[in-house]
Amino acid sequence: MTGRAALAVVFRFQSVFGLVLVFAAAIVFSPHHNGDLVFLDSGNLFNVVRAISEIGIIAVGMTLVILVGGIDLSVGSVVGLASVGVAELLTANDWGLVPAVLLILALGLVFGVLQGIASARFRIQAFIVTLAGMQIARGLARMWSGGEGVSITYGDGPGQAPVPFSLLGERTFGGVVPIPALLFVVVAALAVLLLRASAFSRHVYAIGGNEKAALLSGVPVTRVKVAVFGLCGLLAALAGIVHAGQLNFGGPNDGTGYELNAIAAVVIGGTSLSGGRGSVFGTVAGALLVGVLDNILQLNDIDSNVQLIVVGVVIVLAAGLQRLRPATV
Amino acid sequence: MGDDGVLVELAGVGKTYGGVRALRSVDFTVREGEVHALLGENGAGKSTLLKILSGEVAAGTGVVRIGGEPVRFTRPADARRAGVAMIHQELDLVPALSVAENVFLGREPHTRAGAVDRRGMVERTREVLARSGVDLDPRVPVERLRTGEQQLVTIAKALSLQARILLMDEPTSALSPREVDRLFTVVDQLRKDGAAVVYVSHRMDEIGRVADRATVLRNGEVVAAFAARELSAARAAEAMVGRPVDQMFRAAGSSDPGGDEVLRVEDLVVRPRPGRREPAGISLTVRAGEIVGLAGQLGAGRTELLEALYGASGATLTGGRILLRGKEFRPRSPRRSLRAGLAFVPEDRRISGLALEHSVTAGTVLSIVDRLARFGMVSARRERNAARGSAERLGVKAGSLSAPVGSLSGGNQQKVVLGRALLSEPALLLLDEPTRGVDVGAKAEIYRLLGEAARSGVGVLLASSEPAELVGVCDRVLVLRGGRGLRELDTAAAGEADLLAASMGEVPMEDAR
Repeated sequence: MTGRAALAVVFRFQSVFGLVLVFAAAIVFSPHHNGDLVFLDSGNLFNVVRAISEIGIIAVGMTLVILVGGIDLSVGSVVGLASVGVAELLTANDWGLVPAVLLILALGLVFGVLQGIASARFRIQAFIVTLAGMQIARGLARMWSGGEGVSITYGDGPGQAPVPFSLLGERTFGGVVPIPALLFVVVAALAVLLLRASAFSRHVYAIGGNEKAALLSGVPVTRVKVAVFGLCGLLAALAGIVHAGQLNFGGPNDGTGYELNAIAAVVIGGTSLSGGRGSVFGTVAGALLVGVLDNILQLNDIDSNVQLIVVGVVIVLAAGLQRLRPATV
Repeated sequence: MGDDGVLVELAGVGKTYGGVRALRSVDFTVREGEVHALLGENGAGKSTLLKILSGEVAAGTGVVRIGGEPVRFTRPADARRAGVAMIHQELDLVPALSVAENVFLGREPHTRAGAVDRRGMVERTREVLARSGVDLDPRVPVERLRTGEQQLVTIAKALSLQARILLMDEPTSALSPREVDRLFTVVDQLRKDGAAVVYVSHRMDEIGRVADRATVLRNGEVVAAFAARELSAARAAEAMVGRPVDQMFRAAGSSDPGGDEVLRVEDLVVRPRPGRREPAGISLTVRAGEIVGLAGQLGAGRTELLEALYGASGATLTGGRILLRGKEFRPRSPRRSLRAGLAFVPEDRRISGLALEHSVTAGTVLSIVDRLARFGMVSARRERNAARGSAERLGVKAGSLSAPVGSLSGGNQQKVVLGRALLSEPALLLLDEPTRGVDVGAKAEIYRLLGEAARSGVGVLLASSEPAELVGVCDRVLVLRGGRGLRELDTAAAGEADLLAASMGEVPMEDAR
């Protein structure tokens, strides 16, 4: 491998290298318990993944939107809407698990598609469309539950949610892997595959790289953008369902600020905000990096406000690193 | 100041980027009151030389002297302080601000009360403009000026910064003939005032008119130097390419342009839109194996016609019809047009042709990824193979197929766009200024490729503003004016002069803008 190629790899997967560094630092600074490192305890590690699973799932969709040169500010509100919606359907409406989940996913999809149409077909800036979407989804969430949070209790009686839904919050798969973490890993793996090998992904990158050139080269620009916004909405709804399951609660005001956390993961992952360059792989590593950072600071009982500052610094470092990236790699 | 009035001197200057040597041991001088032209194919090292002089990159080896003093620029600001100004191809002016505000941007004079001294600014701008023989109102917003006038503002700005050395990189590429004349008057004035001008251009005729000397670069080395009066297009082109350039243009068309009709346009009318000259009654035919040219002055509607045919501009057809291989065709979107057998090479590859950050492979196969895919999935290997095939056929010179397209020379970028169009195996190829900003060697190759495509049965419709190109390459040329077909010329009988005469109207296009 030449020096240039090596450099290209470092920049392309900067968040992976960052993750390795943070991981190493976490080992060094980990508190000990009975001679073992608390950080490396498998339960702890999976809790890291669980903790970032919601933001991670959202960030995967956000990566796609940012790759086509867009942005989606509505995802946090969609999380709130989906969490309230699924909680209401399962308890007050006594819906079955499958129809309730499918309806909420469809709702997220439609919400995203409508935003996609507004931005791609009618050429309103994505920032503005999804800023409006953010308000609308929040309003819908509050209307749905009358402004109140919806607690979820489990059982077979009326007003009780089907027991399997509680798996999201309590159970682990194979004894160690929390279900939300598993969902996140599956979503991320599918997205990595999609972006690596699908014709669709070539269109996504082409649009972000030069929309006009993509259009003239026969890329169905509007259709691809609508699909991408739809996927992002769908994933935000999935994150909302996971959110409700983890907390046994549907909160109309939940998910506030998630859009910014997701964007942060994307940026740390090395995806360019102007589109056309980046990867889901980087985003996943970016989300994990933030998760590990949070975890190690927590394990050391450091003030949670310090965590915010640290993450802020990491974002700037990540973006600054991309500025150093030579044009030729 | 150097002894013999040498204002700029490069001695043994070299520069290496990564592993690529862009310049090796170049000697180059410009005297006071001299215009020194710099010629060479894309990638020959002209840009690197300009960048060293303007402080955008530092010289690797050798010495740069300004007025006899060795200098080492590490930032553009260093060069500016030494009196060097670069007149960029892309103009760096703020459109909404006036001429005066642009000239004094960031260093506005103030009144004693601390407010911006508008009157003083306008006065001083008028002086600077007058010094270079330009008659413009300093109070007019720059966006209301034509491209050529904006360029003159950039020059005036440089002069007001006390620049003595001006670097001009293809200053005429976007100018009308009249604007070119005006620019040359200004350059003459600069010469009289003792400025040193480095002038880069692809247009040989201009260099004869404007330059005192010319230096030819090839592969980063000086291969020839001429006094302007010794300069001939043939000799310069030969030096640039490194071999005789006979047969620059392929003998027109295929020998037998008697193929089936690929395209028939009858009285095409498109709903007019502001700022565009949409087709207002155009008829034409293109047969398989035939190259048909579209001529006409700036604003005649060449680009608009091609875009309307390709469905690229969202144009609404209000009259006439289009037959593609005998079947009625209504352009709706580029995607559908591609499926129907059209392919389009747009005018400006950087703006509408390529994602410059993406790889050569990605740029080449973009139009056919759906076809390369199985069940929606494409393998990187199949993409690379398709791209390699295209790159070999077209002679694309790239370090690697995974290198960003933007790192290629202009000619090679253009070949990537052309390769993409050909990969879709079109029946009709639409080209808008396919050789603009492309050096002589790449031009000849593009003509060869168009000839090959035609011989393989593709119909070609080529819009160009270069009469020599149209006459040399096309079988027939349709001259447009005001969105209408004016005349059709058979290039077997008509020459450049006929074409020029046919394109000129009673109404000067600049005023009809």
